[in-house]
Amino acid sequence: MATHEHHKVRRAGRWFDVRGRKLGMWAFALNRIAAIGLVVYLYLHLVVLSTLSRGPGSWDAFVSLARQPYFLLLDVILLAGILIHGLNGLRVTLMGFDVGVKKQKALFSAFMLVAVVALSAAALKIFGG
Amino acid sequence: MTLLDVTLQIFRYKPGEQPHYDTFTVQVDDTAHVIDAIDKAWAEHDHTLIFRRACHHSSCGSCGLRINGAEKLPCITRFSEVWDGHSPLRLDPLRNFPVVSDLVVDVSGFFQRMSASNMSITRDAESTLPLSVEDLDAVVQPKEVELPDNLSRFNRFENCIECGICMSACPTMAVDNKFMGPAGLAAIYRARQKTGDPREVAHLLALADGEHGVWRCHSAFECTEACPQAVDPAGKIMALRREITENRIKKARR
Repeated sequence: MATHEHHKVRRAGRWFDVRGRKLGMWAFALNRIAAIGLVVYLYLHLVVLSTLSRGPGSWDAFVSLARQPYFLLLDVILLAGILIHGLNGLRVTLMGFDVGVKKQKALFSAFMLVAVVALSAAALKIFGG
Repeated sequence: MTLLDVTLQIFRYKPGEQPHYDTFTVQVDDTAHVIDAIDKAWAEHDHTLIFRRACHHSSCGSCGLRINGAEKLPCITRFSEVWDGHSPLRLDPLRNFPVVSDLVVDVSGFFQRMSASNMSITRDAESTLPLSVEDLDAVVQPKEVELPDNLSRFNRFENCIECGICMSACPTMAVDNKFMGPAGLAAIYRARQKTGDPREVAHLLALADGEHGVWRCHSAFECTEACPQAVDPAGKIMALRREITENRIKKARR
């Protein structure tokens, strides 16, 4: 007797395989992608903050880099991760209290719509301001 | 009736050999179910093809597998639902179970989870073989069987055919093989609804509240989506979470 796919990391890859799956699985996969992105950001943020220890020159150089348009795009991506993970987390919390379970797909769509609207407004502000 | 030439791409595995896919082309009519094509592949091409099936009408739950990646019962899945008319139809065994051979998996883990709740899957009326004519009457006449007043609240679980499809569809099962799984937790919910005995309720809720219980579920709802019998395991998991949380709040207030 053998397992079809026995490697744990390989099996975790199924988290992102949404082929033939329904909206709840998309929500599940998006939440994980956003979470991984936010963890990576957290470490990058700590690395960036460590430039402060090298004096004002290093920090000022970083700030001027951070004002470049391509860097601002990273801000928009970060905000997308926060909105997706936060709002989807709220949906999962409601589910955990047995609230709106039958409407979980509609709730996901509604929260993602809120995320898109908020992200669009934020992107306009980031690039326009 | 139109005849279709269907190509099946079937996962093959024999102990000691490398897994691979074999391709078989069979002719079926346009109203055929996928199980009919698998039967023909076995009959016309390869008698070593191992698969499971019995009732042909979604009652035994034995034929569950994945059709183009999605969990289905091939006995009730028509080609019109899953086949695009030209590409090979890929058939894989259920996930999250050890593969015994080809499309057959070892489902003993599924039944171990079900037994954790001491849940009798079949109704009381069906669980005892008749020993006499009188007993037979008692079994076949619903009025003789004592059913709870609130049957509608939990009778969906009675529809569980133990096919294992929910466990295959669940993404949490992929990384936690001790997770009680959708059907196991739905069985706990069903057993909890059945009893008013505080000790039994406490035992069942403690089981659901364990390390590999309801909190391991990540709300993907794939179990509910894939279930061919509308048991709604994810809904039951959420209901258990609610009761556990309410009990904790009550306990903290005391």
